[in-house]
Amino acid sequence: LGAGQSIQQTYDLTRYLEHQLRTLAGTYLNYLGPPFNEPDFNPPRLARAERVPSATVDLDLWRGLTDNARLAANYRAYSRLLCYLRVLDEQVGTAELRHRLAHFCASLQGLVLSIGGVMSSLGYPLPAGPAGTPAPPGAPAAPNDFLKKMDDFWLLKELQTWLWRSAKDFNRLKKKVPPAVVTLRLEARGF
Amino acid sequence: GLVQSCGHIIPESPVLALGSNFTALCILNESCLDFGNIYASQIIWKIKNKLVPKEQYREINRTVSSVTFNDTSSLATPLTCNILADGQIEQNIYGITVTVGLPPEKPKNLSCIVHQVSRFTYVMTCTWNPGRHTFLDTQFRLRYSWPEEDFPDCIPKDVNNSCTIADIQFFVNTEIWVEATNALGKAESDHLVIDPVDIVKPLSPQNVSITSGFLPTVLQLCWENWISSAVMALKFNIRYRIAGDTNWMEVPLEDTASPRTSFSVQGLRPYTEYVFSIRCMKEDGQGYWSDWSEEKTGITVED
Repeated sequence: LGAGQSIQQTYDLTRYLEHQLRTLAGTYLNYLGPPFNEPDFNPPRLARAERVPSATVDLDLWRGLTDNARLAANYRAYSRLLCYLRVLDEQVGTAELRHRLAHFCASLQGLVLSIGGVMSSLGYPLPAGPAGTPAPPGAPAAPNDFLKKMDDFWLLKELQTWLWRSAKDFNRLKKKVPPAVVTLRLEARGF
Repeated sequence: GLVQSCGHIIPESPVLALGSNFTALCILNESCLDFGNIYASQIIWKIKNKLVPKEQYREINRTVSSVTFNDTSSLATPLTCNILADGQIEQNIYGITVTVGLPPEKPKNLSCIVHQVSRFTYVMTCTWNPGRHTFLDTQFRLRYSWPEEDFPDCIPKDVNNSCTIADIQFFVNTEIWVEATNALGKAESDHLVIDPVDIVKPLSPQNVSITSGFLPTVLQLCWENWISSAVMALKFNIRYRIAGDTNWMEVPLEDTASPRTSFSVQGLRPYTEYVFSIRCMKEDGQGYWSDWSEEKTGITVED
């Protein structure tokens, strides 16, 4: 695939993941039960939640990054989010939800690969470590059920925000890279 | 007569390629030689109790006789090694089953289609030409993968030319191929590399309804699209006929070439009952048309 096509495909996949997550998160939060499935539930972010890559960034800082740095940040974030999601997938009690989580995990794995494909097509090196397999940092397991559910809540919330912003990143990148043009490593030449 | 097993044949249960040559050895046990007073020269070979011509035998030594077939097409099961012992009583020493067949051919014409089976569920069915009959138990498996990610193989049930994958992912180029394996070898089809979103046959437009408007020559169609815009944008094909008539007319494709959930058909006859049907496909033309929707009728108002 050329860079333009690869970015378009990654953009489509990000929007597809957003679409899947909208219904999946609702179902999962209902599975967690109150207060997590209440619309106005907006807890403070606990220190525990720091383990999950935070999607909250300074937008000017984010936009100021090079395409390479921004893609790499997306790549690392989804690799780690995928690990947490896979842990979630193993603990869910209902077969239907487990199936949908497994499907979503596979889609997210596809996104990590696609971002890697975009980086390669633009001539950027991939961040160290194989896609989607770095084990979550050794954070202690949640001491009780409520905090475990809080972890899950924050994982889904951060994931939604990451996907929302990544769609914008790829949409912007799509416009910068015309579909059929052979891509030169512009950064490398200091243009 | 002889009471113990006095020998065996190698190879034990061979699977042989049709048309190849084959040699088997019958090896007598030393213990039997002394006791039974039997020698390799007394061995006679049979196929399904039919004598193998002696020209095909060779006495390797006192205990071993070989038999050779230049073309396995004449071979059948069982192949037995027998002794014509003293007193002309024929005794069976050993027998083997022989299976003759062909290695699998390269599966050809691999083609796949993703069927939307419900609002959120898609399955991918791939079909291929399995090639000639091999006369052997031949396993086919549909394989698909991403770079760095393998998925479980799809094993066909009761057929050897198609398989359906239940959980398919969009927007990632997927490599798909077929492998055929039997005792005589393995063959692999050409590999397809596709994004499954480009081979979708969507569900047809649902809940079609017809509304007559103020103008006697216009009817408005409304429907639901059961495929998310996050998966694909759709284009449409609308056909209609006068109730009772068999000739369908079509709205020009360019008029319905973009996403929508309604369309006003113009240029109709006043106070006439019309039958409508719609189908859809991916806006960029990749993939397949859906089936035609359920037919719905509407009547234009009087002039």
